[in-house]
Amino acid sequence: MFVVKGHLDAGVLMMEAPSAYQDVMCSRVAIRKDDPAKTNPRFWDELFLMKVNLEYLEAKLTSLDGDEVVMIKENINSLFHHCVQALEEEHQIKVVNALQTLCALFRGVHQKNKSATGFDIINMLVGFDKADLRMKDLMESLDGLLCGDGSESLKSLCLKLLLCLVTVTDNISQNTILEYVMINSIFEAILQILSDVSSRGQHGYDAVVLLALLVNYRKYESVNPYIVKLSIVDDESTLDGMGMVVHQALTEYNRQYKDKEEEDHGGFFSTLTNMVGSMFIADAEEKLSVQTNEAILLALYEAVHLNRNFITVLAQSHPEIDMAATPVSTLPATPTTPLGTTPPSLDMLNNPELPLDPNLQTSNLLITFLKYSSIVMQDTKDEHRLNSARLCLIILTCIAEDQYADAFLHDDNMNFRVNLHRMPMRHRKKAAAKNIPSRPLVCAVLDLMVEFIVTHMMKEFPMDLYMRCVQIIHKLICYQKKCRVRLHYTWRELWSALINLLKFLLSNETTLLAKHNIFHLALQVVNLFNMFITYGDTFLPTPSSYDELYYEIVRMHQVFDNLYCMVLRVSTNVGQWKEPASKVTHALVNVRAIINHFNPKIESYAAVNHISQLSEDQVLEVVRSNYDTLTLKLQDGLDQFERYSEQPKETAFFKELVRSISLNVRKNVSLNTLSQDVLLKEFSSIS
Amino acid sequence: MGDTELELSPSQLEELQKSPSASSTSTTSSLSLPSSPSSGPRAFTSSSPSASESLPASSPPLDVISEGVNELSLVIDTEVAKKACQEVLQKVKLLKGDGEMTPAAVEPTLVNGTAHTDPSERDSGGVGQPSKTNEDEPPPGTVKSARRRQKNNSSKQSWLLRLFESKLFDISMAISYLYNSKEPGVQAYIGNRLFSFRNEDVDFYLPQLLNMYIHMDEDVGDAIKPYVVHRCRQSINFSLQCAWLLGAYSSDMHISTQRHSRGTKLRKLILSDELKPASQRIRREVLQPPPPCPPPLHHGQGLSEHSLSPSKRTHQRSKSDATVSISLSSNLKRTASNPKVESSQDEPVRLTPQREFIKSLMGIGKRLATLPTKEQKTQRLISELSLLNHKLPARVWLPTAAFDHHVVRVPHTQAVVLNSKDKAPYLIYVEVLECENFETSSVPVRIPETRIRSTRSVENLPDCGITPDQRASSFSTVPNYDNDDEAWSVDDIGELQVELPEIHTNSCDNISQFSVDSITSQESKEPIFIAAGDIRRRLSEQLAHTPTTFKKDPEDPSAVALKEPWQEKVRRIREASPYGHLPNWRLLSVIVKCGDDLRQELLAFQVLKQLQAIWEQERVPLWIKPYKILVISSDSGMIEPVVNAVSIHQVKKQSQLSLLDYFLQEHGNYTTEAFLTAQRNFVQSCAGYCLICYLLQVKDRHNGNILLDSEGHIIHIDFGFILSSSPRNLGFETSAFKLTNEFVDVMGGQDGDMFNYYKMLMLQGLIAARKHMEKVIQIVEIMQQGSQLPCFHGSSTIRNLKERFHMSLTEEQLQVLVEQMVDGSMRSITTKLYDGFQYLTNGIM
Repeated sequence: MFVVKGHLDAGVLMMEAPSAYQDVMCSRVAIRKDDPAKTNPRFWDELFLMKVNLEYLEAKLTSLDGDEVVMIKENINSLFHHCVQALEEEHQIKVVNALQTLCALFRGVHQKNKSATGFDIINMLVGFDKADLRMKDLMESLDGLLCGDGSESLKSLCLKLLLCLVTVTDNISQNTILEYVMINSIFEAILQILSDVSSRGQHGYDAVVLLALLVNYRKYESVNPYIVKLSIVDDESTLDGMGMVVHQALTEYNRQYKDKEEEDHGGFFSTLTNMVGSMFIADAEEKLSVQTNEAILLALYEAVHLNRNFITVLAQSHPEIDMAATPVSTLPATPTTPLGTTPPSLDMLNNPELPLDPNLQTSNLLITFLKYSSIVMQDTKDEHRLNSARLCLIILTCIAEDQYADAFLHDDNMNFRVNLHRMPMRHRKKAAAKNIPSRPLVCAVLDLMVEFIVTHMMKEFPMDLYMRCVQIIHKLICYQKKCRVRLHYTWRELWSALINLLKFLLSNETTLLAKHNIFHLALQVVNLFNMFITYGDTFLPTPSSYDELYYEIVRMHQVFDNLYCMVLRVSTNVGQWKEPASKVTHALVNVRAIINHFNPKIESYAAVNHISQLSEDQVLEVVRSNYDTLTLKLQDGLDQFERYSEQPKETAFFKELVRSISLNVRKNVSLNTLSQDVLLKEFSSIS
Repeated sequence: MGDTELELSPSQLEELQKSPSASSTSTTSSLSLPSSPSSGPRAFTSSSPSASESLPASSPPLDVISEGVNELSLVIDTEVAKKACQEVLQKVKLLKGDGEMTPAAVEPTLVNGTAHTDPSERDSGGVGQPSKTNEDEPPPGTVKSARRRQKNNSSKQSWLLRLFESKLFDISMAISYLYNSKEPGVQAYIGNRLFSFRNEDVDFYLPQLLNMYIHMDEDVGDAIKPYVVHRCRQSINFSLQCAWLLGAYSSDMHISTQRHSRGTKLRKLILSDELKPASQRIRREVLQPPPPCPPPLHHGQGLSEHSLSPSKRTHQRSKSDATVSISLSSNLKRTASNPKVESSQDEPVRLTPQREFIKSLMGIGKRLATLPTKEQKTQRLISELSLLNHKLPARVWLPTAAFDHHVVRVPHTQAVVLNSKDKAPYLIYVEVLECENFETSSVPVRIPETRIRSTRSVENLPDCGITPDQRASSFSTVPNYDNDDEAWSVDDIGELQVELPEIHTNSCDNISQFSVDSITSQESKEPIFIAAGDIRRRLSEQLAHTPTTFKKDPEDPSAVALKEPWQEKVRRIREASPYGHLPNWRLLSVIVKCGDDLRQELLAFQVLKQLQAIWEQERVPLWIKPYKILVISSDSGMIEPVVNAVSIHQVKKQSQLSLLDYFLQEHGNYTTEAFLTAQRNFVQSCAGYCLICYLLQVKDRHNGNILLDSEGHIIHIDFGFILSSSPRNLGFETSAFKLTNEFVDVMGGQDGDMFNYYKMLMLQGLIAARKHMEKVIQIVEIMQQGSQLPCFHGSSTIRNLKERFHMSLTEEQLQVLVEQMVDGSMRSITTKLYDGFQYLTNGIM
């Protein structure tokens, strides 16, 4: 149909033409009823040689009223058809313009028909009768472009078109046109981008985000081939590539946060000025805080949740050589901004051998993720951060349930120093960051959980996050019990954090009960203690740590006493909390036995020795010598837990999350950023 | 014999008086002419009746070659020389092939052999005539003197020949004659004779052979080369070993000579992968003469022509070699993920995967050395190895292993950095699958890391389909685990929850069983009570149960890893490995040394091995443990670790006990059999190593360099300072060997029976070693050639070594000597001083 011959001349000619020329042509195509090709046989050929004015086209389509749209349906279909055909062109300018035109079409038509059903939109864009064929052609062309040896900018544009297509609707599952993306899978193309080092560096971020979104299309309603395929990928280099992209993005976030933090606390003087300054610009500063990156976190979640092999990537360290070994790509940094959301800095990927800093720790995705989580969890007031924190905890739940992940979390030979971010608080000193010992990774996870427990006892009680937190600890301890891992961890910090949590629940009983089932959380916490009491012999590191457990319980017996009183009171009343409260009563049996057994012993010891205040050693002595007369009750199912499942509990959360990510991505995908000049420069030399 | 000779010129005459005996006797000797190694005894008896007459007759093989070397090459064009040489080679091979045949079967080949040699000899005679004019041209002095020497030796030679053909003639003697004889004929003969020894026997002397090849004159080199080339064609492993050794032993040469040296050329030739195995080619070689004939010429135009062309060739090769290796860094990877690709590419890249593998291990060592702390080194090591894992399985293997295998996985978290001040040696464990032949067996298919089979316990292993006929297909059945159902089911931990750890199933451990029971019988509301005291007691008991593990020390990460019993480690790693269920799974370990010269270690290994053999032969129950050394270059290599052994330094530091108390703790009380066995092992190994230390003058004997194994043996490691070298030349350690009071205490004190047994063992060992001194000296002496190693510093290394065998002393005098040495060592203040010095400088206890 096209007369390819002579297009070069036309190209040269048309480049001189005003850039608005094509817009006019496009909208003319759209608006006019007759076929433009009749008057000008080379119309289509020339059309795609001209720059697209996306906004204009999009606005034009939007501004049409209903009848007009129906009238020009044929023309839109035709334009779409020719766009798809132009993708096969060898002249790259045409491909670029076709891609951009398609993008404008998708957006424009959707904008116009917000209320319309997915099928109507397909009909409007492509036409029902030809949709199968056209979309197949489109997807095949995109697949070819993504996998081919063509220009990197072109690949970038393809991904942007796809991102644009995926995010045109707020709710991804209502985007019916994605059915064609399901049937004509581009999964393999995405994987190929991720497995290749240089393409990963340039397009990895977009590819990962695209994949995360595609996986969420009608996730709960139908069989999504992307889910199936993602779950069985076992090629290390691809999974590793995916991990790298996530790693880079999270590292970048951590770095930005750290920079900002250092800026804020850059010394005494700056602290002073900040204090003064923050009085006035507190709000402005709030906005400056680094925006979280949920899209990349969602990708991490899907990978961890769906793909068992990805778990190995978590522990996969990325020593600098991995980057140094790869030839630095030809373009140092393409002028494309992948997405508006904090993209991975390209120079990180292209950085040749990093300096061998003695303080530089070998890092891996899990460590970076833990650091990221520690930052995100600090402040959960903002909706985005709350979502991020929740997602972080969900990911950690999945990790804690995976046997292989547990194996390397507890591996004695894999020790790391993980510098978690701690919220500056009034009543505690900022821990000297350098003194963190090198320990198995599970210690960092436990630290993070303890940190969360300690820092979020507030009015806006994040009950859901607390539950997840305590469950993660429970799962880790279950693993330790099963596999007899004796972790050298300062359990005492955990115990006292948990007891403080119980204390908080008690003192805020009335306010909390209005919103949450606090008995559920209390039961979980008490059962953690029961794990230690009854199975401590299987996972505690030393006999004295078992003594310390008793010491801690006896020392804080008041909390347990009060808790018992409270649950007893609630369970004797009739009401919705009767059942859950009575469960806690039963769970407390051993703790109460311990308190009732040792308290009199300690008192009599004090009396006999005429000491008013016993020292810790003395109490421990009493504990040690009185074990034998204490009988405990073996409780059922302490080491049983409910496995994480996304459906049905989490579906609402994920739907909302994907919606928010979609909005964010749509806002930030901009095809115009790829300036025509750059493209022209690049392609004039190629073709 | 006379007629023709009279017509010859004087020079010709002189010459013919000895060597041309071959041409004139060729017809008469036709029967015994091809007598060659394996048929030696037979030929010997047949020609023995009249010794003087038959002597020349029995030596034809020798003469044929010497003739080829001395004359043909000079006079006749190289083609003929080549042919003659090839024929000899061919015969050797034929006989080697038919080595086990009956004499009757040998006959035809003999006839064939003569038929082949005759023309060449006639040629020599024929061309000999016109060559008279030429004959005058070469510098007469050298030729004549050489001939005179030969003449004088001729009678000796014949005796030699009888020796060479006798059964007693072993590889050790062959090496010795190759080294000592100045006779090109003898050297060439032995070069051929090498083909008749067992590969393993020759392999032991490979460093010696190659060192001679590099550093000795042309004749020796020419004699050795055909054998080396032949073996290289047969085996990748041999090729690489040769290439590495050639590189390492050439490194002491001046850089300008090194580049053009024979050793470097041969190394390039091997690495160019030109020496192809091509299985049919090997067959053909047996029937036809091998194309690359050793240039049997030591001077004349022929040489320049011959040596030039290969050098040209190798030069070109080296370029393509480089490109191949570049393309192969990715190829190794491809082999891992896709064995199909690999098999097709297998031919051109025979050596490359293994070279890349070794290179990456060395690269890791180099990068580790730049990191300041042990902790960082360990982390980095683990992460680097995890990346290496991506490229496995591949057609790579550990050269230190005793069986054929493919490396499938490196359990990276098990690797440890060893204690060293500025270098970064590290120890890795390597999972391999044993196979028939690593060159031809197919590379195992990759199994993803997370696919830890739930059939982890030993009882379930038979389920994995390992009947002999399934064995072959077992690799292809493995990927079938990869079905979707598997990928979807993610409830490992569910199974894990009910699964009881089978490690500690002692009676005190039924709490978890209780819990499982109670879960299942939740209906019976009968509450179960437990005593808190029991829980506490179990906790302390279980911790007390494992006292033999060392505590983790970030500054000494290897202590824990090395202390763990090998079997325990194997079991643990096997359970955690995705390949663990395969029946041919094995665990190996290796120490990778980068930046260290292991050539002295290799020398020490050879000496130890030799002494071990001598003591075994003489039935002296001395115990030593030579550990395998792989020299890769002059500053890198690998060591086979001694399993189940930790250094005495680590023992003392971790246990805070004296050595004797540690023995009592580990093995039981004085009177127990376990203790007595351990004590006897200690004494036997102590005596063995004391002798070694004395004979080899092993220095730097601090407790970090002495290991103690789980059976009570001591094992000395680190032979960095032997013979003429000692650390920093501080003059410490003047005693004959290290014998501290602690050692004597373990032996039961100075008056104990075991101590007398110790001294008696030393005496017996010394007497036995003395008897076979030559075998030991030879190993060292040959390696001294062209070597700059510190152990050969000075001119008296060998003489001093010989003196330490005290050949002149009577056995009574030797006994006195041993007493004196033991006494001296025990009282030696310097030993203590040296330990104190080490403690101060290196923190070694």
